[in-house]
Amino acid sequence: MFFRIVSDSFARKPRRKVLMAAALALGMAVATATLEVALDVGDRLAREFRSLGANLLVTPAADTLPLEIGGMDYRPVDTGAYLPESDLGKLKTIFWRNNIVGFAPFLDVPVQIAPGSQPGTGRGIERVVLIGTWYSHSVEVPDGSKFVTGVSATDPWWHVDGRWFSDNADECLVGAGLARRLGLHPGSMLTVRAGDQVHTLAVTGIVSTGGREDDAIIAPLRVAQDLAGRPGRYRRLLVSALTKPADTFSERDPATMTPVEYDRWYCSPYISSISHQMQQELPGTEVRAIRQVAEGEGRILTRVGSLMWLVTIAALFAAALAVGATSATTVLERRSEIGLMKALGASQRAVGAFFLAEQLLLALVGGVAGYAIGLVLARTLGIGIFGIAPAFRLILFPIVLILAAAVALLGSLAPLRHASRVDPAPVLRGE
Amino acid sequence: MGSMFWRILWKLLGASRGRLALALVALSCGAAITSALLNVNLDAERKLTQEFRTLGANVVVAPASTGSDAALADAAVMDRIAALGDPRIAAAAPYLYMAVSIPTNSGTQPVILAGTWFDQVAKMNSWWKLEGSWVASREDRMHCLAGRTAARQLGLAPGSHIDLRSGDHNVALTVTGIVTTGGSEDDQIFTSLAVAQELANLPGQVSLVQISVAGTSSEIQAVTHRLTDALPGLEVHPVRQIAAAEGSILGRIRGMLFWTIALILTLSALGVLASMAALAMERSRDVGLMKALGGPVPRIMRLFLTEAGVLGVLGGAIGFAVGIVLARWIGGRVFGVAISPRLELFPVTVVLTVAVALAGALPLRLLGRVRPAEILRGE
Amino acid sequence: MTPLVQVRQLEKRFGAICALDHVSFDVEAGEWIAIMGPSGSGKTTLINILGGLDHVTSGQVMVDGLEIGQLGERELTRYRSDKIGFVFQQFHLVPYLTALENVMLAQYFHSITDEKDAAEALRRVGLGDRLEHLPAHLSGGEQQRVAIARALINHPKLILADEPTGNLDEANEAVILNLFRELHSSGHTILVVTHSQAIGNLADRRLELEHGRLARISVPSLAKK
Repeated sequence: MFFRIVSDSFARKPRRKVLMAAALALGMAVATATLEVALDVGDRLAREFRSLGANLLVTPAADTLPLEIGGMDYRPVDTGAYLPESDLGKLKTIFWRNNIVGFAPFLDVPVQIAPGSQPGTGRGIERVVLIGTWYSHSVEVPDGSKFVTGVSATDPWWHVDGRWFSDNADECLVGAGLARRLGLHPGSMLTVRAGDQVHTLAVTGIVSTGGREDDAIIAPLRVAQDLAGRPGRYRRLLVSALTKPADTFSERDPATMTPVEYDRWYCSPYISSISHQMQQELPGTEVRAIRQVAEGEGRILTRVGSLMWLVTIAALFAAALAVGATSATTVLERRSEIGLMKALGASQRAVGAFFLAEQLLLALVGGVAGYAIGLVLARTLGIGIFGIAPAFRLILFPIVLILAAAVALLGSLAPLRHASRVDPAPVLRGE
Repeated sequence: MGSMFWRILWKLLGASRGRLALALVALSCGAAITSALLNVNLDAERKLTQEFRTLGANVVVAPASTGSDAALADAAVMDRIAALGDPRIAAAAPYLYMAVSIPTNSGTQPVILAGTWFDQVAKMNSWWKLEGSWVASREDRMHCLAGRTAARQLGLAPGSHIDLRSGDHNVALTVTGIVTTGGSEDDQIFTSLAVAQELANLPGQVSLVQISVAGTSSEIQAVTHRLTDALPGLEVHPVRQIAAAEGSILGRIRGMLFWTIALILTLSALGVLASMAALAMERSRDVGLMKALGGPVPRIMRLFLTEAGVLGVLGGAIGFAVGIVLARWIGGRVFGVAISPRLELFPVTVVLTVAVALAGALPLRLLGRVRPAEILRGE
Repeated sequence: MTPLVQVRQLEKRFGAICALDHVSFDVEAGEWIAIMGPSGSGKTTLINILGGLDHVTSGQVMVDGLEIGQLGERELTRYRSDKIGFVFQQFHLVPYLTALENVMLAQYFHSITDEKDAAEALRRVGLGDRLEHLPAHLSGGEQQRVAIARALINHPKLILADEPTGNLDEANEAVILNLFRELHSSGHTILVVTHSQAIGNLADRRLELEHGRLARISVPSLAKK
């Protein structure tokens, strides 16, 4: 009989039920959308932050102290340590290999620009730094696959007028400041000399970064290795990795952790654990977090993350408000129905159970509809804001259903309590 | 409108307090959400911009590159930057770089020394990890900081003494802290600018100035232009790495906040609308009766719309107050700093709430067209 | 002299249902008419049309020289407040206004409020000591007396009462009946819908409706005397 009343009630006055379900669906849609966005915002922004440049620096462990002023290393080429380029593929074998977005090795060589290759200027020999690196280089990974990386992945913010060099050609980029000084432009030819090595390079573009590159020549790593007489070697490696914002746990020294803590730390993409894993793969290196990038990123990600959670709470609150208000309306409209039920001998509890069952049924319908609408909303928002739809998370479905039930029950609790205390007599008299 | 109008209104508000309280709660909640989120939205961008300042300098002033090894600028540039008095310039630190040699057990070790103003460096580079303590004042000639790699190579720790030599100048300093940045700072020694100028025999000269500008990318652009005008002969360029990322990330965060907040506000408006509509339905019998007694529709409407309006004003005011508290709390949770309440949001919140309340009472307008007989007969 | 109320070929349909089927009658000023008939015979519909609460489908209704069917919404409102005093079976008092304020409400809609006048009207129906009571604190009979005071306050041409004693016990019915008798003797025109033979007997004439038709018009024996 109970179910008959419930189902009859749905069949008889569909308009109110539709209203309730619509309010629930709307509330849950907004909740789903904000939840989706909030869950995704960390990943999305972390990727966005990778445009800020590398956050890990790899240098030889036994290096001498660099003597660098304004991007110019004053150490002779033959001092200091070098690292083998052939090891780099191993970076894509660490536990968090998929979080390594890209890396680029660097080898700086002080060079002289040979006279005669400077059109239009009569000045003497110019000493500049030639930075050898990869633009977009294919690296052999020990598991047999290939990984294409270079400055294109680590520092996408470099601004180049013209085009990048090709990694296998005798081409180069020239920093904006240097280009202005020497009157170089894309298409110029440039002869550089280091010791007895001479290379003639075609300028393909002018680079401006606001940093030391503005006064340097950027050339393929192979060219720099030739000039320095260090085939297959590099001196610095910049790595861009997706990381989890640092917290007090990640700042701890792994040596002091219990085995369980160590496992947790090792299996979290903290910058400290990623650098630890990289160091294990690349012997003789020192891996450091570039704190300028890592710290700023971590702080902003944490802030935005908690902001989004608060916004999500606000969304849930607003959903509860909408549903509560609507259910209050429908319950108030049905006082006479309640009065009649009570006059016919229904107990307070029976009336309550009847309405709760109705609310739960509505929550189910509204929740499912709201989840579907919310997914579409989240997609639209995600594509609009980040250019990528958020990942589909099935786990949200039961969560949204439970939320819908909770919101529907909570929202109708106050009006229901009110209604179930209704005195049948005046209601039936029509007052 | 006459005293009878207010007399009825007063009774109307006094009657069915529970129902009105419910509507008021809904209105207040809606208004609170609105004012809190608007407040947070307005403040979040500023707060996040400040957050980005933890990324360090985003504008560098340096002598136009000449090709010679170390072009220098007059330290008076600092006065001219200060004279601009631009509030967007959060900090400006001069640097003078030079190579010095430090005697060790096995001869001497060359190292880069950077002379700077410690107070400005500390302000700008909150991401520096420091073991030991900062050098407190920019005038301090007794102490220095050492980069981590340099400290390891030279065997330095907080409290160590070092001798710095350059040409025939030399100075003995005490290391107060070891700096870790992950950048080239790790290889350097930091002293106050005056010490470096003395060692290098370059009084009143600096290599470059790092400036931290707070603001959106267009504001950074504006400050860059001002600086270029104020500092002839010097090159002012934004650090592209930071400026570019900041612009794009802020844009995305702003978009995300804006749209989610817009969604939530729409939702709470609907909630409030529903509860006001419920109240309006409650009043339908009164409207019918008053019509039957010969009450002109505009007069009756005015009564109930005023009721809704009064509720709207009350709800808006309460909601605004609650919203400020909420915004302060959110600010504390998210940014560690309370969000300053925006008083200009008060009229916005109240007007929005009243508008929604009146919109919720609009079903009554429809009742105005219904025959009173139907309302009295109905139910 | 023309009758106060002239009803000619009045028809009222609710969709397919014919509530009033070509009803015609006149009411002279000062007359007391009882409208009787079984449930659903169209009594309330007739009263509502006369009171300007409902529209006619066809036919003519003239009250005090006004053709009601031709009145616009605004004029109907004016008509209700100027010419008509309503008394309902359900009393229909505004629950959050006191007895006095309920009477003043009618004044407010009509022209201007006069508290003394309103209090005097309540005193006339014997509620001089109940001015500040809310309807919930009044008995059914007292509520109906407030409603009568409210109906009289603007000196209407026509008093329309729909089952005024339908919700009352015998003692209260007697009080209300006395009030109507006084109203009648002081020259008011009254139309009462009723099931009560007592009222029917007191009226000057009885209109009996059956299925929307005017079945007969009779003169009760009491009135003949």
